[in-house]
Amino acid sequence: MSSYVDKEFFYYLRGRELLLYKLLGSRNRTRITQTGILQSYHNELMYPDENIENGLRVEYTALNEPFVAEALETTTAKYSSSTISFSDGSDTITDSTNPFVTAGFSDGDKIRIQGSLSNDGDYTVDVAAGQLQISNGTTTLETIGERITVTQIPKEVASDSVDSTSSINLNKMLCLAVVDYVKAMIHEERGEIDKKEYYIKEFYSKLADNESNKRIISSAFPVSPFAVR
Amino acid sequence: MTILELMERVGTKNETLTIAYIKDAIHLMQSNTKEKIKVSKQDVLNASDSDDNVYRLPADLIAIENISILDTSDSRYKRIKRISSQPHYLLEDTSP
Repeated sequence: MSSYVDKEFFYYLRGRELLLYKLLGSRNRTRITQTGILQSYHNELMYPDENIENGLRVEYTALNEPFVAEALETTTAKYSSSTISFSDGSDTITDSTNPFVTAGFSDGDKIRIQGSLSNDGDYTVDVAAGQLQISNGTTTLETIGERITVTQIPKEVASDSVDSTSSINLNKMLCLAVVDYVKAMIHEERGEIDKKEYYIKEFYSKLADNESNKRIISSAFPVSPFAVR
Repeated sequence: MTILELMERVGTKNETLTIAYIKDAIHLMQSNTKEKIKVSKQDVLNASDSDDNVYRLPADLIAIENISILDTSDSRYKRIKRISSQPHYLLEDTSP
C-alpha cells in the first residue's frame, strides 16, 4: 500500500521520458541491502518498489479537440432535475416532464451527464419526446431521485473530416486571436515582416485579454468614516 | 467561428494551409495559457532494473501542469516533487 507518496516519490524529466524514484529509508522501508539504490546529494533514492494501478497521473495541456461540429457559443443546451431516470438495455434517459426539446437538445448532440449514481459520462444522443436515446454507449438502470445535470458539450470533428464548415473549439476572443495569427503567417509568407509582427502582437494581446476576462479584479480603498476636511 | 468565416476574414482560399495555421495557433495558446487540460494515467511498476522506472510522457503533451501519484491508503492523487538533476548511480552492493 502506498502512503505519504507526496513525500516519498520524486520525478526527473529526461526528454520525452519521466523517471520515477522513491525515497529510501522512509517509514515503509527497512534498509537491508543496497541493491538498486541511487544517491542524490544527501538523500538516497531507489526505484519504486510496488505496483500501483493507474498510479502515475500526468495533467497537461495538449492540442485537444481543435475542431468541433458546432460553434462553442451555440452549444448551450442544459437541463437539471431530480426526475431523470436511466433504463437498462434500451439505453435511454427519461424525464416525465418532457423537457429535453425545450431545453435545446437536438439529434446528434453530445452530452455530459453529471450527478447520477452510475451513469456519469459523455454520450451522443438522439432526442425523442421526453427522452434522450443514446447512440454510442450504454446506461445502467437508475430510478429517479438523484439531482442530475445534462449539459451539451462540443462534438469533436475527427482530424480527417475537418473542412471549412467545422468550427474552431475556442471562445470568440480566442477565435479572433487565431484570425490574427493566420494573418501574421500569411504576411510572413509574403515577406512582410513588419505586418507579421503587428499581427503577432495582436495575437498575444487577445490571449492576455482572454486571461484577464476570466478574473474579476476588485480594488478596495479603506476610507475612514470620520475623514472630514 | 467556422473555418470558412476565418478564411473570409483573413482573405485566403487555401483551406488546408489555414487548418494547419489554426492548429499552430492553438498549440501556441496551449503553451502560454491553460485553455484545455488533459489527464493521462499509467500504472506504476515495481521496478527491478533501471528501465522499469522510465515512463513515456503522453505523445500529445505540450506543457506539463502537474505530476501526481496515487496514495492507495486514502485513494487520492498527491502531487510529487521534481528533482532538477538526475541522481547518480552507486555501485551495486548485494551484501546485507
